[in-house]
Amino acid sequence: MIAIQEPDPLQYLVQRPEVSERFNALKKRPVVLSVQHLYKLFECQTGTVTALKDVSFDAYRREFMCVIGPSGCGKSTLIRILAGLESASDGQVLLDGNPVTGPGPDRGMVFQSYTLFPWLTVKQNVMFGPRMSGQRGMSAESEARQWIDLVGLSKFENSYPHHLSGGMKQRVAIARALANRPRILLMDEPFGALDAQTRCQMQSYLLQIWRNLDITILFITHDLDEAAFLADRILVLKANPGEVNEIIEVPVPRPRTPAQFITPEFVATKYHIDQLIHPNHGGSEDTLPFPRMTPQGDDVE
Amino acid sequence: MKIDPTKASAPREPWFAARRELSAKRAAVLTVFSFSLPLLIWCTVSYLPFLWHPDVELQISADREGITTVYTPGDRVSEEFFPEFEEAVREQNRKVEPLMSLDKPVEAGSEASIRRANKKVLRHIAPLLVKNGWLTEEQTKDDDAIYSAWKEIATGGELPARPRLSDENLEIVRRNWAAMSRYAETYDADNFISRPLLSLIPQGRPANPDYLPAPHRVLISGYKEFTKPAEAERPSMWQRVGHSMRIVFGGFLLAALVGVPIGVICGTYSFFSKLVEPFTDFFRYMPAPTFSTLLVVVFLANDAPKMALVFIGTIFQLILVVANTTRRLDLPLLEAAQTLGANQLQLLTRVVIPGILPNLYNDLRILLGWAWTWLVIAELVGVKSGLTEFIETQGRWRNFDSVYPVIILIGMIGFFTDQILSFLRGILFPWTSDSAAAASNPLAKGLLFVPRFFKGAANERLPYQPEATSPNKA
Repeated sequence: MIAIQEPDPLQYLVQRPEVSERFNALKKRPVVLSVQHLYKLFECQTGTVTALKDVSFDAYRREFMCVIGPSGCGKSTLIRILAGLESASDGQVLLDGNPVTGPGPDRGMVFQSYTLFPWLTVKQNVMFGPRMSGQRGMSAESEARQWIDLVGLSKFENSYPHHLSGGMKQRVAIARALANRPRILLMDEPFGALDAQTRCQMQSYLLQIWRNLDITILFITHDLDEAAFLADRILVLKANPGEVNEIIEVPVPRPRTPAQFITPEFVATKYHIDQLIHPNHGGSEDTLPFPRMTPQGDDVE
Repeated sequence: MKIDPTKASAPREPWFAARRELSAKRAAVLTVFSFSLPLLIWCTVSYLPFLWHPDVELQISADREGITTVYTPGDRVSEEFFPEFEEAVREQNRKVEPLMSLDKPVEAGSEASIRRANKKVLRHIAPLLVKNGWLTEEQTKDDDAIYSAWKEIATGGELPARPRLSDENLEIVRRNWAAMSRYAETYDADNFISRPLLSLIPQGRPANPDYLPAPHRVLISGYKEFTKPAEAERPSMWQRVGHSMRIVFGGFLLAALVGVPIGVICGTYSFFSKLVEPFTDFFRYMPAPTFSTLLVVVFLANDAPKMALVFIGTIFQLILVVANTTRRLDLPLLEAAQTLGANQLQLLTRVVIPGILPNLYNDLRILLGWAWTWLVIAELVGVKSGLTEFIETQGRWRNFDSVYPVIILIGMIGFFTDQILSFLRGILFPWTSDSAAAASNPLAKGLLFVPRFFKGAANERLPYQPEATSPNKA
């Protein structure tokens, strides 16, 4: 047996000098998104359910922030409130200091389900936002082409979405959201429906895009690896009611590569989030009460 | 080992496999059978005399004394009744036989009536001779021609062959001729036999009831009816077709014009849905034909009340169906559009309407079929008109061989309209993933080869084919 060493539970707080310097610089930047004492209550048959309770946090300019939490912690509700698709029961959301009241082009959103308009070609999909604000003509079209180039789909600009694979669809969705030049990009488990390989590829694409644009990203996920790989800071939520558990500064240095998955910082961060989300990990809940149904000696492990 | 691709292709694919698609070739074969089997059944029942044929179609009929029901050749009597009919005529002949003798004096004054009756007896053979081509249609009352035909049959070498005269009737012809020839060799009104003659025994062949005419008769009648030119009071068949189509399409288009906007608004805004749909849902259960008299009062005569009936019969369903289709539009599409800055009006015009268009098209296609079902009832409103008037009158005269072509034509118009519309869907909405499937319908393939050919060429120009192994198909 190989003994698996439990990491030091506080190791994730140790930052290398260049990493802590980055975080200091980050926190000096202006706050783009400020969430203040956000509450969301739902009325249902069994009474009132508190989906979000006193959620407060700030996101700085060009920060990549991930939101993670157990199922039912209200992370989707949170992002929908930020997008303006739902209203908060109490508290407020400020974007560049202005309160958010409804959906708007200053907050781009990428959904988990593929929300490309099936009757529009890739190019027309990307031009949708600018067209809604009245942009017309060649300049809008050439700008759309630039965004399509950015996600590497220039060959498919005249294809309809049903000809694209899932990963390509999400790339178009990102281009479409960015074409509106939003202040913040809200992403609701955008790679959740993709297979592992495509997801990995999409994560690298997203980091490249983020690096080269003036964009703040708020990214919801349930995948620990994804959160630790992408984020500057991770907002960990608790379930029932959805509360802020901790905001973790990821000590993994940038630029990130998949090779970093085995570095001590990465493992420690992951271990810590895991502890936060699944406190009884390894407990009796994991063992199924299953009788032996094979003959003695015929063991696979 | 090398695999021979010609042998390897589809070895023993089963014909019956649950939820498995058949190859295009097999599907096409079955589609052909789907139409030819009913036709084949119709043909066998019509042309094989030992199948069914419960009636006897009369070739020679006869009048019976004291019985007013008169059958004429071409009429059908039931198999059970026919022997009774024959026997009655034979019985009558037995009574006549003794009176045939020339020596017996006739009652004074009855000679004229006997001669009249005899003329009728002679004429009974005429329809059979017309069929044989011995007489023309106009000669059925030409006593000269009929008289010499009797002579020909009784004395000449040639006999009617198609259809034949039964031996029993041949004997009657000879016996009658023997008596007649003693008066005159040719027809002479003044010198016509004044002794009673024997009646021909009814003769017929097995036939199906008149409500199931044979295919060839339906074809012939159909050809005749559809090539008849229009007369003053009687429109030509194609004018009737046009009239009927105007009513169906007119009523339907009006319903769509009014109903689609209402349906889309109801499907988009809960406010209108709750305001409009409950009443619509209630109203659609009131059968449209119950409003027919009301419609005549409101819209007066001509086509207006007829179209109004199609309109009423269609619009309530249409509103509900369109509202439901609109509600089925993926909600995230609307949310995505909102996060991209679309306002309320843009949501409706740029997302809802283009988003539901392919399904809306399908709904309207199905509802057009629904509108067709109102045709007959609509054309009975007020003054009967169009194809229905023809079906009504011909049906009442039991001319079912003329009725069937019209019924079949109505079916064909509906069917082909639908096929064409279903095919066009693939061309009109190239972004739907089932557009290719719609166009691969074997009927559409055969009938609309040319537009398909061009579309195929267009498909080849597509720069990208979906990856075969894409695991993320939504």
